[in-house]
Amino acid sequence: MDTATAKKAGKKDYQKLILEGFVSHVLEHGKEPASIFKFAKDLKIKEEEFYNHYTSFEAIKSAIWVALFEETHRQLEEQEVYKEYAVREKFLSFLFTWVEELKKNRSYLLSLYKDKATTFKNLPSDTRDFKERFTDFASELILEGKETQEIATRPLITEKYDEALWLQVAFVFRYWLDDNSPRFEKTDAAIEKSVNFAFDLMGKSALDSFLDLAKFLYQTK
Amino acid sequence: MSDKVKEQGSIPVSKVQRAAKFISTGAKVGGNYVKHYAKKMVNPSLNREELHQNNASDIYNSLSELKGSALKVAQMMSMDKNLLPRAYQDKFSMAQYTAPPLSYPLVVKTFQKYFEKTPEQLFDTFSRSAINAASIGQVHQATKGDKTLAVKIQYPGVADSVSSDLRLVRPFALRLLNMNEKELDHYMGEVEERLLEETDYQLEVTRSREISEACMHIPNLRFPCYYDEYSAERIITMDWIAGKHIKEWMATKPSQEMKNQVGQALWDFYHHQVHNLKQVHADPHPGNFIIQEDGTLGIIDFGCVKVIPEDFYQGYFALIKRELVMNPAELDQIFYGLDFISDKDTEVEKTYFKGVFTEMISLLGKPFHVDRFDFSDDAYFEQIFLLGDRISNDKMFKSSRQARGSRHGLYINRTYFGLYNLLNQLEATVDTTKPDWLN
Repeated sequence: MDTATAKKAGKKDYQKLILEGFVSHVLEHGKEPASIFKFAKDLKIKEEEFYNHYTSFEAIKSAIWVALFEETHRQLEEQEVYKEYAVREKFLSFLFTWVEELKKNRSYLLSLYKDKATTFKNLPSDTRDFKERFTDFASELILEGKETQEIATRPLITEKYDEALWLQVAFVFRYWLDDNSPRFEKTDAAIEKSVNFAFDLMGKSALDSFLDLAKFLYQTK
Repeated sequence: MSDKVKEQGSIPVSKVQRAAKFISTGAKVGGNYVKHYAKKMVNPSLNREELHQNNASDIYNSLSELKGSALKVAQMMSMDKNLLPRAYQDKFSMAQYTAPPLSYPLVVKTFQKYFEKTPEQLFDTFSRSAINAASIGQVHQATKGDKTLAVKIQYPGVADSVSSDLRLVRPFALRLLNMNEKELDHYMGEVEERLLEETDYQLEVTRSREISEACMHIPNLRFPCYYDEYSAERIITMDWIAGKHIKEWMATKPSQEMKNQVGQALWDFYHHQVHNLKQVHADPHPGNFIIQEDGTLGIIDFGCVKVIPEDFYQGYFALIKRELVMNPAELDQIFYGLDFISDKDTEVEKTYFKGVFTEMISLLGKPFHVDRFDFSDDAYFEQIFLLGDRISNDKMFKSSRQARGSRHGLYINRTYFGLYNLLNQLEATVDTTKPDWLN
């Protein structure tokens, strides 16, 4: 039992060591390490040991994205008031907390993504796991939104809402990377406005009533 | 207090109310909503030049609920066209009033940014939704120990967008005001300066303290205390002043004595600022005054403070001397000094405008010509509006391309009309004190 936990702790430590080592390498050199061999050597671990945890740099980058998400999620859960929020506020709160997390790693993210990340689509391998986690989170929000009537149920379209929220996350990331305003105030405004817009679209609107009317007229003609 | 927001969303009915609106809403440009609003209005397929010429007045009309004579009143109020840019800003700030309030997560985030604590951690209680919308922010109520506090939070990005928003207004203002660019810039510069100051919450706290201290001796006034430990660039925390706004207070049918007491406090407050401090709370908007149960007047929001330059002060107030209206040579000099007329004018124009301004001044200076003035006199206000209507319909006035009036006059005029209107709402009779040199 003791050895098991010790082993586990050791494994954790290696993971942490590798992640932190990777981030600091990117920070200092502005790019990824040349090879896994070189990277492992710098960290003073065996290359085989490295493969026990990650199989590629992509896997590391992905793990960092997931870590950012997990940390954001943890902080949200910690806030007493979060549970009382409406869905719109929950999503706002998520994005606000998330960009705070991003801020802590801004240099790292800038060196890796400044030029590449026109959309998340160009980075499928880096963000796949993050997207998966996020989609789970978003689906939960959407489900809750439907229950509270904040989000209107529309055939076919509703299933794509998690995808839409994901696009919004990508939009905020891109906006934030290019944001030069003090304290990233513009990003805050962009989040506030884009989320309000998105939720206004998803909520019940005149369009729904119109479609309902059109359907009615068509069927009763 | 939440009534106030609604109030500002509706179209004011009577003439007096409409004028009050001009003065009340204030020269505040509504943040990013301007962009949104303008984009919605502007059809991108039109080329710019065409758009300006053909649509300027349409756009203006759709932006403006204050049509017709309200505009003209504003024109006249400023003794020239120089309040018109404010008509735009009014409009833009109204667009802002319909803006969705800051979401609570953003409020929390703003607190975390400046204090590394959530509002709940900082205060004992904190209202989840805004109690009151200010033009560039919103007010929440909080408690800490036995104190009730008002916490004002600014929308993010407003400070940055002031200049770009004004640039956006410029082309429309140019076409509509029939001014040339240089003249417009003359006023826009003034407006921009005030607006930028207004977004500086730290400056606001400093000024609030200064003016509060300097006015402490005036009876029946109350100023809130400001708390540095809970204030930052985008957050101001001050005492919550409980009481009623003028309109609500009037609905409780206070005695004439009470009305006069409040009116007098208001007059004294402005008298002291203008004539002794030479800097003035230039936002006499009903929302910035709260009447407490015992008839003391609470004054909040020192966002807009105008410092009055000495030479402008001399010229401007010399005008209200009654005998001076009779002395043409001295009057000419003052008119030149305040930019009411210039060498660019023809003789006919000069004579005309001198006549107009003299008439206005004698009317507007009326409260100063007596020792005690009854502001409840609607007939007096009616007279002002009629004169305004008459002048602004006059061809001479319409066709003049000159900007008239000193830029400093912009906010001083606004202050005085705001004050007159508040006193009118209060139906107060006050001792209209004057500095010694004017007696």
